Amino acid sequence: MIKSLKQFTKTRSEMVRGMAVAVGLAAVLALPGTGFAQNETPKVGGVLKIAHSTRIATMNVLNLSGPAEYPAIDMLYSGLTRIGMDNHPHPDLAESWSANSDATVFDFKLRPNVTFHDGTPLTSGDVVATFEAIQDPARGASARSVLTMVEKVEAIDNLTVRFTLTVSYADLPVAVAHANARIISAKALAGPKENLENKPNGTGPFKLESYDSSRMTRLVRNDNYFIEGVPYLDAVELHLFPDLTAQSANYLSGNMDVLLAVEQADYDRIDKAPGSNALRVASGRFVNVVMRFDQKPFDDVRVRKALAMSIDRQTLVDVILEGLGRPARDNILSPEYAYVIDSPEIPYDTAAAKQLLADAGYPDGIKIDLVASNRPAIRGQVAIAIKQMALPAGFDINVKSMPHDTYLANYWRKGNFYMAYWGMRSTPDGAFTLLLTSDASYEDTAWNNKEFDAIVAKARSTPDDSERAQLYAEAQKLILRDTPYIIPFFQDVLTASRDGVKGWVVHPLNRVYYIESVWLDRN
Amino acid sequence: MSDFVRHPAGVAGAILLTIIALAVLFGPLVAPYDPQAFHTTVRLQGPSADHWLGTDQFGRDLLSRLLFGARSTIAFGVGATMISVIAGSLIGVTAGVVGGWIDSVIMRGLDGMLAVPDLLFVLLIVTMLGAGTGEAMLAVSIAFTPGMARISRSSVLSIRTREYVLAAVARGESQRYIILSEVIPNAIGPIIVEGTIRVSFAIMIGATLGFLGMGAQPPSTEWGLMVSEARQFMYRSPWVVAVPGLAIAVAAMGFNLFGDALRDAFDPRRSR
Amino acid sequence: MSLGYLTRRLFSVLLVLVIVSFAVFAITMILPGNAAVMILGEYATEDQLLALAEVLGLNRPWYIQYFEWAGNILQADWGMSLRLSLPVGEVVGDAFWNSASLAVTALGTVIIIAIPLGILAALYRGSKVDLGIGLFAYVGTAMPEFVTATLLLVFLAGSAGGYLPAGGFIAPNESFPGFVSHVILPAGTLGLILMAHIARQVRSEMSDVLASDYIRAARLKGLRERTVIRRHALPNSLAPAVAVISLDIGYLLGGIIVVEEIFAWPGLGRLLIYALENRDLPVIQAITLLLAAVYALSNLFSDLVIAALDPRVRY
Repeated sequence: MIKSLKQFTKTRSEMVRGMAVAVGLAAVLALPGTGFAQNETPKVGGVLKIAHSTRIATMNVLNLSGPAEYPAIDMLYSGLTRIGMDNHPHPDLAESWSANSDATVFDFKLRPNVTFHDGTPLTSGDVVATFEAIQDPARGASARSVLTMVEKVEAIDNLTVRFTLTVSYADLPVAVAHANARIISAKALAGPKENLENKPNGTGPFKLESYDSSRMTRLVRNDNYFIEGVPYLDAVELHLFPDLTAQSANYLSGNMDVLLAVEQADYDRIDKAPGSNALRVASGRFVNVVMRFDQKPFDDVRVRKALAMSIDRQTLVDVILEGLGRPARDNILSPEYAYVIDSPEIPYDTAAAKQLLADAGYPDGIKIDLVASNRPAIRGQVAIAIKQMALPAGFDINVKSMPHDTYLANYWRKGNFYMAYWGMRSTPDGAFTLLLTSDASYEDTAWNNKEFDAIVAKARSTPDDSERAQLYAEAQKLILRDTPYIIPFFQDVLTASRDGVKGWVVHPLNRVYYIESVWLDRN
Repeated sequence: MSDFVRHPAGVAGAILLTIIALAVLFGPLVAPYDPQAFHTTVRLQGPSADHWLGTDQFGRDLLSRLLFGARSTIAFGVGATMISVIAGSLIGVTAGVVGGWIDSVIMRGLDGMLAVPDLLFVLLIVTMLGAGTGEAMLAVSIAFTPGMARISRSSVLSIRTREYVLAAVARGESQRYIILSEVIPNAIGPIIVEGTIRVSFAIMIGATLGFLGMGAQPPSTEWGLMVSEARQFMYRSPWVVAVPGLAIAVAAMGFNLFGDALRDAFDPRRSR
Repeated sequence: MSLGYLTRRLFSVLLVLVIVSFAVFAITMILPGNAAVMILGEYATEDQLLALAEVLGLNRPWYIQYFEWAGNILQADWGMSLRLSLPVGEVVGDAFWNSASLAVTALGTVIIIAIPLGILAALYRGSKVDLGIGLFAYVGTAMPEFVTATLLLVFLAGSAGGYLPAGGFIAPNESFPGFVSHVILPAGTLGLILMAHIARQVRSEMSDVLASDYIRAARLKGLRERTVIRRHALPNSLAPAVAVISLDIGYLLGGIIVVEEIFAWPGLGRLLIYALENRDLPVIQAITLLLAAVYALSNLFSDLVIAALDPRVRY
């Protein structure tokens, strides 16, 4: 079953109105959309066993990025807000928020009587300390890139935090919902780094009981969780199986209840197996081909377009994703994003591509190395497929696979032709300022387009919704004109749970899981 | 020679090796398809008229990939072993002939390197050099050299005291003559035997490196890499794993059997 | 054997370990990436990488890093894992016991099965039994562990076979039956090749001994076949078997790396792969030293056993 998603961000006027709605929501579960049937009452109790294949190396919520680390901290920590399956920010630790008329100052009111797992009460001081840590370059926090517009964070009173921004930014509540922007206690932040990594102390629905990164991590119910009635589960265990065959075998035999990430090759088998239910969530995550603008041969846009036409996107989806994804047309925004425009189809036409190459001064084609890190393996697979597909157009591509850290040290943001891999962002602004603007955090294509930069900056601070839509449309047209990246497909998020597990779902961002709403019905 | 033929194991090994050699020499010439070409309509199929051994996850013909891969896989094993044989023999013969403190120093160094188990040593070196077929081959030859040096040294030592050598010394022959005409021809036997058996280990270590992602890199047709990439598709078509896996086993077995038979032929004292 | 010999052997083990530690250090210094790069991954900017490398002490000259590390080792301080932020001693220690339980089980089973197999093959030389065992031995040695492991996993474990768990680990003190069910497949995979080696070796040694004059004389004396075998043939064949076993420990230590990865056994092998991928130098160093020490000491031990079994050997 595919979950299709609508608008991703609230418009500014909705936001201000949303304040009133938010107060009402505080008393209820913060997450619509996990949906169980009306006539089913959740049962309390039981242990959920999740199988995963990458190690939980750290619980330092500031800079972790591992696929299995996100569910862990989603259970251990809470943020000011949290993204719901409806893609709007919902109250989490902040029960309401308000902004001034031009969205440059935001006040978040915290819930009263929230305690960390060690018993210390949550105050605005902890929020301030957390955001200061996020903005501190020495900490290497992942959420820093989405909070560059925050000038100052201050505690107005014990339960109110004020954010002062350098520009108008209506999406701040979305930005603070970032999965790595969870609230840590000021005491923990001042303490030794090892405690942040191994002794997480959050306000989330579960707390840590035991942590053996080579085998199993066990979390138990936080009886003092600030939402009444949840979580339903007594405990959650995350079991590591580095070998994919062993992982799926354990899941299919019933030993494990949830398979965190299902491989494309296995999806069909796991869906059809008795007692197992696979779930497919359309997501905007992608593999992209980076071609640097400031070096030959990709300094000529005709060469970029020629390569774009030498890739059979549907075949890539069929063969590499086993159909579990959607072909993309080089627009960095997938259909789920707000303000996304329709991108014209790019046909697979190697004859036309060959002609374009000749026009650009390469009548005999181009011989070039394509670098692909081995993590995740899909980079190399796509590279090999592209090599074959682009051959008739005159591209003689030599695929160079290498270990991930060699790639990071020698090619990432330096090489002129390599495969990259990015997850989805919450807003178009998030995607643009991550990769495409001249000062983007991980800019690597040397596009340096002043016009694009100006549009993105303006859209950030425009309160009017329709004006924003127009600006973002222009920005996307620039992308489609210059092809800073080739983005051949959007890859679905795949997961699976057994019969008897109710409410297991994964957000398309692949970082939020709502495990406090999961319950077990084992007869 | 007649001794050799009488042993069925040796004959079996020789047959297997001949098949392997044919695949290495003529494989790419007789392969029906380009090993990298995709046939996306017939992915993960079992054997059929068009594809005698079936196809893989990209629809590439398994037989063609196998035939092309013979070169990378076998050449890897043979190449790595030959380098280690040459390097090891040089070191070992030198140590054995020269003797004295040079010998002791060399032995200490060899002991140090031999203290680390093979695969571990190879992994460390490959991690340093970077992944890739060439790097992996160098790593395996470095790891095997101390063992070969040991064998050649003890071989030389045992020959030094043989009658024909003593006779040559008594005759007043030069050091060079003795080494070239008496020592080496007789020391070579055990070295070749050990080398042949080592090829099968080299092939397996190469395949294991491919499996761990530290050896041959995609889209290479090296057999170990083929197994590693195919494992997740095992349930949809066991052929993708079975074909290269069996090929590795056949090659390793061939070298093993042949090497054992050589050992028996060379060593008349063994009663079998 | 003399105390002098023992002392000399132990000293050379120590020397070897020093050489190994230095070599490993040199190797990891040449790597293009470092631990900071791996920890922060693709989400790192230049300044973040430099800051973290500074915190981890990776920017200091190599000889300072080496001597500081060596000095700490001598005080039994193995340092902190760069990736896991836990003391190396703790991480490696836990993994060591897990690997040990697997290795000992594999070795024990192999010895119990392979030696009788070898003896049988020798006693019934040329018969179908001999041929069968020989075939098993050859096939066993010809397949790399990851192929054998995969086949066992597919056919005997999980939903297909349904009998045995598909990987995973339960400590022997948590639940002994649980431990046994989880250890069968990985130990079996490791054991297969070992069994082949040892059975072959025992068979050939035993055959030699059985054909020797010594045995012929014993038979002529009128002793029962069983006594001949038990009191005369067996002890003489075992010494070389012990030598093979000690050589195979080297193979075992290598094979354990792949087997642990596939069966999700949280031992040194898996930890090593993880440390190599993440350039976690303190952990790589510790594991390599540990494995080299185990290998060297087991060689020493087997030499002692051989000396005990075979009175002709003098040290």
